[in-house]
Amino acid sequence: MAGRRAALKAIDWAAFAERVPAAQRAMFNALKTRSDALSARLAALPEKPPAIDWAYYKAAVAKAGMVDEFQKKFSALKVPEPVDTQSAKIDAQEQEAAKTTAEYVQASKARIAQYENQLKKLRSMIPFEQMTFEDLNEAFPETKLDKEKYPYWPHKPIAEL
Amino acid sequence: VLHIARPIHTSQQCLAPLPPLPEKGGEVRHGLIPEEFFQFLYPKTGVTGPYMLGTGLLLYFLSKEIYVINHETVAAACILSVIIYGIKKYGADVAAFADKLNEEKVAKALSVKNDAIKELETAIEQEKKEQWRVEGRSYLFDAKRNNIAMLLEANYRERLLTVYNEVKKRLDYQVAMQNLKRQKEQDHMIQWVEKNVVQSITPQQQKESIAKCILDLKALSKSAQVAV
Repeated sequence: MAGRRAALKAIDWAAFAERVPAAQRAMFNALKTRSDALSARLAALPEKPPAIDWAYYKAAVAKAGMVDEFQKKFSALKVPEPVDTQSAKIDAQEQEAAKTTAEYVQASKARIAQYENQLKKLRSMIPFEQMTFEDLNEAFPETKLDKEKYPYWPHKPIAEL
Repeated sequence: VLHIARPIHTSQQCLAPLPPLPEKGGEVRHGLIPEEFFQFLYPKTGVTGPYMLGTGLLLYFLSKEIYVINHETVAAACILSVIIYGIKKYGADVAAFADKLNEEKVAKALSVKNDAIKELETAIEQEKKEQWRVEGRSYLFDAKRNNIAMLLEANYRERLLTVYNEVKKRLDYQVAMQNLKRQKEQDHMIQWVEKNVVQSITPQQQKESIAKCILDLKALSKSAQVAV
């Protein structure tokens, strides 16, 4: 009886929905509908079935001992609780998710550091009016004219002028 | 802008970048003679000094025929006057046009740089947002666990309900069977009693009862006629 009522945690669906990226919204909606269906089903069922009126049946049924037998067997009957097979899998999934998220967050932080570096470089550039062509090539390496590949002026294919 | 001596790297090993070059060149008077010449002669000869020097030199060249006036002089005068007229009239426009070309190049480069900066900033924001999203993964697992708990609970309750229903059905069946049997017995008994009674009515009794009925009816009809 103790394992029966695992407390249902209140889920803030609004906050949950905020964190879902657009690509996974369909999955989120499916999960939500399933949860709602389950909770509706649960709410529709009474917690305990109504008690059987043994006195009435004892008076009504003529066959001797039948009602007593039923009553005895009924009170002795123990309905087995459904076995929980999936919780372990959920926990395993959670561990894995924790690991992958840690990796993702690390990669994300590395990317952020990269972006910040580039941003710093761009922000601390001298203004274009004061640059020489050498300075420009240092700041934006792609503007450097390739004098080996195109030895004659304008040192780049005519189409790119 | 008068050029003073720019102090460039006067001390040793100065790694700082040079100050930028001035935008405009030095000032000139009459398009030819730099202002520094006039300033140089000013302390000794005042404002009119250089002009006197120029006029004196010109007259000297002309009178001594160091410079001979010939047809080239006339040609030079015409050409120079046309050139000077052209420059004076259209110089500013041409300069503005050339400046505009340069401005466009610089503006393009600047826009490229600004776009790059903006893109990087949005990228950083996106990454931070994704990190925030990822933090909410606990919601998913709570929802899953809730689903499981609800499912288990619902199944358990359904089983209890099934047991109750089955037992009640059986008991009700017994009761219903009894009632039905009782009723059938009653009906049969009543029918049998009726049949026997009808059988036991002899023809003599029937005639007597019919005559009595007719008398009763006549009496009733008389009283009914009176009442009407």
